[in-house]
Order: sequence, then C-alpha cells, then structure tokens
Amino acid sequence: MTKPLEVKQEVPVVTRTTSNSYSLKESATVKWSLITISFLYISLFLILPLISIFVTAFEKGWETYVASIVHPDALAAIKLTITVALIVVPLNAIFGIVAAWLITKFSFKGKNLLITLIDLPFAVSPVIAGLIFILLFGAQGLFGEWLFEHDIKIVFALPGIILATLFVTFPFIARELIPLMQTQGVTEEEASISLGASGLKTFLYVTLPNIKWGLLYGLILCNARAIGEFGAVSVVSGHIRGLTNTMPLHIEILYNEYQFTAAFAVASIMSVLAIITIIIKNIVSWKAKDV
Amino acid sequence: MSIQVKNVSKSFGSFQALKDISVDIESGELIALLGPSGSGKTTLLRILAGLEGLDEGAIYFDGENITNVSPKERKVGFVFQHYALFRHMTVFENVAYGLKVRPRKTRPSKQEIAKKVNELLELVKLQNFQDRYPSQLSGGQRQRVALARALAVEPKVLLLDEPFGALDAKVRKELRRWLRQLHNEFHVTSIFVTHDQEEALDVADRIIVMNNGKIEQIGTPDEVYENPKSPFVYDFLGNVNIFRGRLQNGKLRQGQFEISAPNYLDSHDEAVGYVRPHDIQIEKEKVDNETVAAKITFIHIVGPTVQIELKREDNGEFLEAELTKEHYKNLEIQKGDIVYVRPKQLKVFIPEDFSI
Ligand SMILES: Nc1ncnc2c1ncn2[C@@H]1O[C@H](COP(=O)(O)OP(=O)(O)OP(=O)(O)O)[C@@H](O)[C@H]1O
Ligand SMILES: [Mg+2]
Repeated sequence: MTKPLEVKQEVPVVTRTTSNSYSLKESATVKWSLITISFLYISLFLILPLISIFVTAFEKGWETYVASIVHPDALAAIKLTITVALIVVPLNAIFGIVAAWLITKFSFKGKNLLITLIDLPFAVSPVIAGLIFILLFGAQGLFGEWLFEHDIKIVFALPGIILATLFVTFPFIARELIPLMQTQGVTEEEASISLGASGLKTFLYVTLPNIKWGLLYGLILCNARAIGEFGAVSVVSGHIRGLTNTMPLHIEILYNEYQFTAAFAVASIMSVLAIITIIIKNIVSWKAKDV
Repeated sequence: MSIQVKNVSKSFGSFQALKDISVDIESGELIALLGPSGSGKTTLLRILAGLEGLDEGAIYFDGENITNVSPKERKVGFVFQHYALFRHMTVFENVAYGLKVRPRKTRPSKQEIAKKVNELLELVKLQNFQDRYPSQLSGGQRQRVALARALAVEPKVLLLDEPFGALDAKVRKELRRWLRQLHNEFHVTSIFVTHDQEEALDVADRIIVMNNGKIEQIGTPDEVYENPKSPFVYDFLGNVNIFRGRLQNGKLRQGQFEISAPNYLDSHDEAVGYVRPHDIQIEKEKVDNETVAAKITFIHIVGPTVQIELKREDNGEFLEAELTKEHYKNLEIQKGDIVYVRPKQLKVFIPEDFSI
C-alpha cells in the first residue's frame, strides 16, 4: 500500500452553517417593523378570510355543517376532486421531471419552443383552456363524431375534467424544477456516469435526491391547483350534480342557490385540505434541514 | 492501459477548442497536461472520459477504438476541476458510490465495500470525516474525497483536472508527491491538468504543453525545459529574457553587443534570443563584446537564490538574472551599480516561424 499522506491527521472541528450569518444582522427596529408589517398583511388577506369561512360554515350549528358535507352531492364532489388530483399530480410529476431533465441536461433544437409551450397554460385563461377541449372533443367538435360513434365520453365526463386540470396545472412542477436543475448543472451526473452508473441509477441516486425538495414543492403547488381549479373544469364538466361536479363547482352551485352555510361548509373542507398541505410541506422541510 | 489520441478535433459552435490533437501515452505513464487557461485541457480530458463527443479523430485504449464507447463503460477515473462531489451524500457514501451502483453480479458485498472505502479514506487521511457532507469540508479535503472516489472503482486510467488547484503551496507539494507515490504503486495511466509548470516538471514522466487547442510540445520534463520547440513553450515553462537582433556569422548581433549562436552559422535572419534568468552571468568589468551594460534596479533575496532586475543602458529594456546567494555575496553588487550582463545559454527562434 502507498504510505498514507503525510499531512497530520485532521480532526473535525466546526460544522459550517449558512443560517444566522453574522454579517446579515439588521438593526432591531428595522427587523421588528418588517415583521409587524408582514404579519399584519398576512392576517388581513389570509387569516381573516380563512376564519370567516369557518365562522359562516358553523353559523347554523354543528348538525347543519355535518349534513351539508354528508349530502350525497357533496360527497360525490369530494370524491371526484380527490380522484382528479390523484391522477393529475403523478402524471404532471412525470411530465415535469422529464421536461426539466430534457431542458437542463441536454441541448437540442426546439428547446426554447418547449420552454415557451410549458408556460402556455400560465398565459392562457383557464376558461379558454376549457373551451379548447370542448372544441376538440365536444359533440360539434373536431373529434366529436368519431368519439360519439365509438361511445367514448370525454367532455362532460371524468376524462374531460382530467384533461382540463392537466392542462392548467402542468407548468407547476416543470417550472419549479428547471431553475433548480439549471443551477445544479450536470457535473454530478457526469461524475456518476464516469463511475459506471447507468442513466437510471444516476437519476435515482444523484438527480432525484438533489431535486427532491423542489419536486415536493412543485407537487404541493400542483396538487393545490388541481383541487382548486375552477374555470377550465367549469367549462368541460357540464355541472352534472353527483357526477361531474368537483368541489369548487359544487360550492358555486350551492352559493348560487343561496345555501350559504352549505357552500361554506364545503369550502371549509377545501381550506382544511389546504392547511394540511401547508403543514405537510413544513414538516418535510424541517426534516430536510435535519438531514 | 495505453492511450492513443488520433487527430482529434472538437468545436463548440464556431469555436474550435481542439485542433487535430494526436498523442500516444504508454501504459502506466504519469502525464502532465500544461497550458494557459482556455487552451483546451479540460476539453481533451472530457473527450478521453467520454463526457464530450468529438468531431473528428479517434481514441484508442490498449489499441482498441473506444471513440463510441459510453463513459460508463470506459473505466476512467475522473477527478473534476470543481470536485463534483455528490452533495447530498456523506464522504463515505461518495467514495462507496462507484461500487454501490455496479450491477448485482459484480457488486461487492456491503462489508467489502465498507472495507475498501475505509482503506481509501485512510489513504487520503479522512477516516474521521466519513460522516460529513461535502459542504462541511475544506477545498483540500473535498479534493481528496474526489480522488478517493475515483480510485474506488480501480480505474485503468485516471484523469485529474487541476487536482491541486485550490490548495496552498505546501499542501500542493505534499499532495503531488503523494500522487507520484500512489502512481508508482498502482501504475494507473494518469493524466493531470495543471497551470503550474513547476508541478508538471516535478512529478510528470512526460509533459504535454497545449496552447490554443493545439499541442505545442510533448516530452520529458527535461526535454521540454531544455529544448523547448517554440517560444511559447519556452515562455510558458519559466521566466525569460528576450534579445532581439540579426544573425550574422553564428552570432546574434544587436549593435555592438553580440551573443554567440553557433547553431546558426548560415542564417542571416532577424531573430529572437531567449535566455533563462539563471543563464545570465553578471560581471563587473567589460571584457568583450558578448556582454551588455545594465544598471541594477532591484535585488530580491528569495531563500537561497537572489533575483536581480536590471535595465539595459543601451535600449532601456529590462532583464532578470538569478544567482545563488553565495555567488551574489562574492560579486559584491548593489542596487544602482552598472554591471555587464553575459547570456551564457541562448535559444534562438526565427520569428517568421512563430508568432510570439
Ligand atoms: N461546452 C462548451 N461550450 C462552448 N465553449 C466551450 C465549452 N467548453 C469549453 N469551451 C471553450 O473551449 C475552450 C477550451 O476550454 P477548456 O475548458 O478545455 O479550457 P482549459 O484549458 O481547461 O482552461 P482552464 O485552465 O481555464 O480550465 C475555451 O475557450 C472554452 O470557452
Ligand atoms: Mg479546465
């Protein structure tokens, strides 16, 4: 064996941390006024409305609240929304990772076009997105006749709702990953491959762990939007009670029928889902710090 | 493993980074790749490792054309210019990675991997750091992890891109000696990139000097240092003094002043003579025309050597001489003295052949 290096044996001393950098300490007044302003702002625009949802939902007592939620139409809406999210989020996760991988790790013709296309759903109004699917798959649409002949239902049915939600939410994960993967570059992947790892192992062991927090964040945003999407879904759903109404659509119907308590009761469920999402996200990022 | 590079060219868009590069490297050699920034050193290494494609030419490992073999299959250990450690893995996991990702058939057991990793960490003196993450290490420590990681897979070729770039002079020296030792032990064909000519001259079996995507010279440190093929190489491998003049009867003339250049008896061209500082002799009396008067403008004493800056009396050009301390003491010279400078060893280049 080669004689070990002749540097003296080193012993771990300090661990470097990035938080609480000394040079970044601001004066106390500036800090506290900024904190106060942020909290006031958040209370006014986020906490207050949230509280009012729950207050209205419970206005007529606990029984009315429960009755509004266990109503078959409400349960159907909740089930449909969850089904859509469970299908859309994984699909967009795969698409987002593939697109971000393609854009950041390779150079090819048409790359800029792809980036623009990914952003398209952000630029197009959700209502128009919904209309596009009606124009394509509706009874008078491009493929309408063919679909009718083969007895395939897209518009005013689950597939249409999924398509519309997919369209609206597909930038979230890709958009989250692209800048992250861009700053990380490809050197770790190159190191992995030159150490003999296959492309798949490189992805699983090197790329994925490096992007997991960004990916998770994208998943959460995508999920939140998939649950909450109104415009595009409203156009393609056909508002069939108990069948094609998602939670936001159901809330709107109840609201239009002056059933405020019921509307806010379902809204409170959506709010709880949102709060749970945020809590999960925070737990995960605390865990991330400990690693 | 022997490496042959045959007429390799590589362009990035319209920029040609490598121009018709050919090199033969024997199995077990330790090669230094020397050249200024942007000369294509990293590009050449990346092509050898298969991380970059090439436009023209071919690469052979042990006589076998591997131009189209994937980097995964090449069994090349690559130590990257900026380490490229896996940031979410500990030191231990980084070093173990190459073994862990092998297909099940050839993968060593967990115990074997741990044993191997511990051996390597001992070799690079980082046993106590195995649970640290790369962000918690100093530059030199990261460098050693990168080296251990590359060695773990027992590569047949080791490519090191400025392995000691970020380290201080003393650690650099220790590490390069250690690399030499390691190399003597394992006989891995190794190529390391460096900006530092002293480093190249010190440890390499042969040196490749690159400039502008081309190879300027390949040779042993002695050959390259003593017989540089071009002004560029001469200049790059150390400090130089330049004497411009015209060749006549085997002498390089500059007015009254002439320096003998016996190899150029028949030339009558404009030429440039290169003289290393340690080949400049300082005399206190003018004895013949092969010396030129100059005034001492500065004296640096650097350890055992003394560097003297002089300004020529005739044309005001600056010269640099290097003496031993003993010789300097015997001469009894001071700043401001007028002395006579005699170039003892002259290397002549005729400018049409070279652009300087
Ligand atoms: N991917 C790339 N795209 C475009 N140009 C590149 C690329 N990689 C390298 N180049 C160019 O090729 C030339 C050689 O680069 P290379 O990295 O090989 O230089 P080097 O000799 O390693 O320099 P240094 O000593 O600074 O590391 C440079 O001019 C660089 O700008
Ligand atoms: Mg380089």
